[in-house]
Amino acid sequence: MRLLRRGWMYAAMLAVSAFALFPVYWVAITSLKPRSEIYTRTPDLWPSDPQWHQYPRVLGEGHVARALLNSLIVAGATTVVCLIVGAMAAYALTRFEIPFKRVLMMLVLMTQMFPLVVLVIPLFVIMRNAQLLGTYAGLVVTYLAFTVPLAIWVMRGFLVGIPDELEHAARTDGATRLGAMWRVILPLAAPGLATTAVLCFLEGWKEFMLALTFMNEETRKTLPVVLQSFVGRGDTDWGAIMAASVIYTLPVVVVFIVLRKHLMTGTTAGAVKG
Amino acid sequence: MSHGAATEAPAGRIGGPAIDAVGRALARLTLPVLLLLPALIIIVGLVGYPLAKTIWLSFTETRLGDLIDGSGEWVGLENYKEVFTDDHLRTSLVNTVVFGTACVVGTMVFGFAVALLLNQRLRGNVLFSVAVLLPWAVPALAASAIWRWLFDDRYGFVNWALVNIGFSSFRDYAWFADRESAYVAIFVTVVWQSFPFVALSLLAGLQTLPRETLHAAAVDGASAWQRFRLVTLPLLRPIVAVLVVFSTIWDFKIFDQIYVMATGVPERAADTAAVTAYRESFALGHYGVGAAVAVVLFAVLLVFSIVYVRMIGREARA
Repeated sequence: MRLLRRGWMYAAMLAVSAFALFPVYWVAITSLKPRSEIYTRTPDLWPSDPQWHQYPRVLGEGHVARALLNSLIVAGATTVVCLIVGAMAAYALTRFEIPFKRVLMMLVLMTQMFPLVVLVIPLFVIMRNAQLLGTYAGLVVTYLAFTVPLAIWVMRGFLVGIPDELEHAARTDGATRLGAMWRVILPLAAPGLATTAVLCFLEGWKEFMLALTFMNEETRKTLPVVLQSFVGRGDTDWGAIMAASVIYTLPVVVVFIVLRKHLMTGTTAGAVKG
Repeated sequence: MSHGAATEAPAGRIGGPAIDAVGRALARLTLPVLLLLPALIIIVGLVGYPLAKTIWLSFTETRLGDLIDGSGEWVGLENYKEVFTDDHLRTSLVNTVVFGTACVVGTMVFGFAVALLLNQRLRGNVLFSVAVLLPWAVPALAASAIWRWLFDDRYGFVNWALVNIGFSSFRDYAWFADRESAYVAIFVTVVWQSFPFVALSLLAGLQTLPRETLHAAAVDGASAWQRFRLVTLPLLRPIVAVLVVFSTIWDFKIFDQIYVMATGVPERAADTAAVTAYRESFALGHYGVGAAVAVVLFAVLLVFSIVYVRMIGREARA
């Protein structure tokens, strides 16, 4: 009886693993199959003759290389600005007596729950009037709307855990407030900063709606926008789409596996979700 | 920093210690306010102002030209009337609630089952947890592309597998030709992406449960189902509640998956509120109507957000 129960559990575990992994596996092998093996009524579960030619082809012709660069620039710049602004605000919210602190933190968390579509029209007008439509700077600025609150919320969680006494000690020893911040708090907050940086980068990497709205020029499109334009085409080239999907997804998977112990920290603020 | 205190000093002589204290309090606030300022400017300018502006737009008739020079005509509740009477717009709201709720239920039930399984600590558990983690890492756009390919009518794996296990009616079955079957495919995509987070959160909760209580229940002769229903579930209620509200917010505002996967559905019958608000604005140029749809979605989510923030706040204090 007990053995039977165990058996069922192992079967369930295998089924769930298959559900989780198979789509990823299928993408990977589709991107390695020659055309004749992709468009077939009897798909092979294993590519008979794996070929890498999709990757150089996609990176060369399909604007994917350019989009990869664009995504790196936009997500990278967002991360840098967001870390500086977020760390400053989070420090202020943990180390000082500020009126309405609780309300402020709740508002910060709340902004994470807003549907982006409720902001997109005015953001479009703002960017147009500032002549930033279609520029990296414009997209990065709009990304700050949802990454800065996220950074504040995550950073604050880390800063609360660093005891006040350390800072007091440094200041008693003659350090200025900024000196203490720089030499005592910053090194201790390094893991928090790293986590925040990764979460902000991922937000910028994954964002689709604003990039779709603002980046109309082919040379400025980010990866999700290019991927979407592939799927929407009439003569859908699935080999190319799957190769582009692998290029788009791989960095995130690596980050997730490396950081899997720390992933849950950002989740209460709505980060790291699809 | 001493600047504020210095200018307030003479006042202290006239007005007594009360004003002096105010001066010192202001001086103490200078640094934190400076530190907060950039973040405040961003939140007010890029969240607060656009939100107010969208609400204003929802009461106006605004075309692209009006949008640029800000000359939309005030029409009162006209747009909202249209949202609730126009077939397509109303349907997109109903779609959001029905499809969103289905996704929440699907994610919670499946996520809970996986969490219980992970908690059994079977052999190979570490590999299992990495496998479960993987779909979570796939960005929404990639996930949509992947599942769109798996559900392809002629060359998709899903139809091939269904035919091979005996459901021959699925040969060349077009999943994206009508709303209901498109929703089945998108539902699978959304659950696939969302269950890891729910499962791992619940697993963290399961691991904090007192083993003695569960053991005592087993000794008293409670079946596995009774232990789950009478001990595990009540103890996990706070986490389950947070996850349900959180998932509801996420699944109601879903945009990427619908935008990519539901495009082929005739008459855009499978569009949800977020996609409809976007398309009304940027594809059709009805910015006022688009704003009204967005505001309705926002209002619904605001209720859930307040509940969520209160739950998190209570937990943070505890």
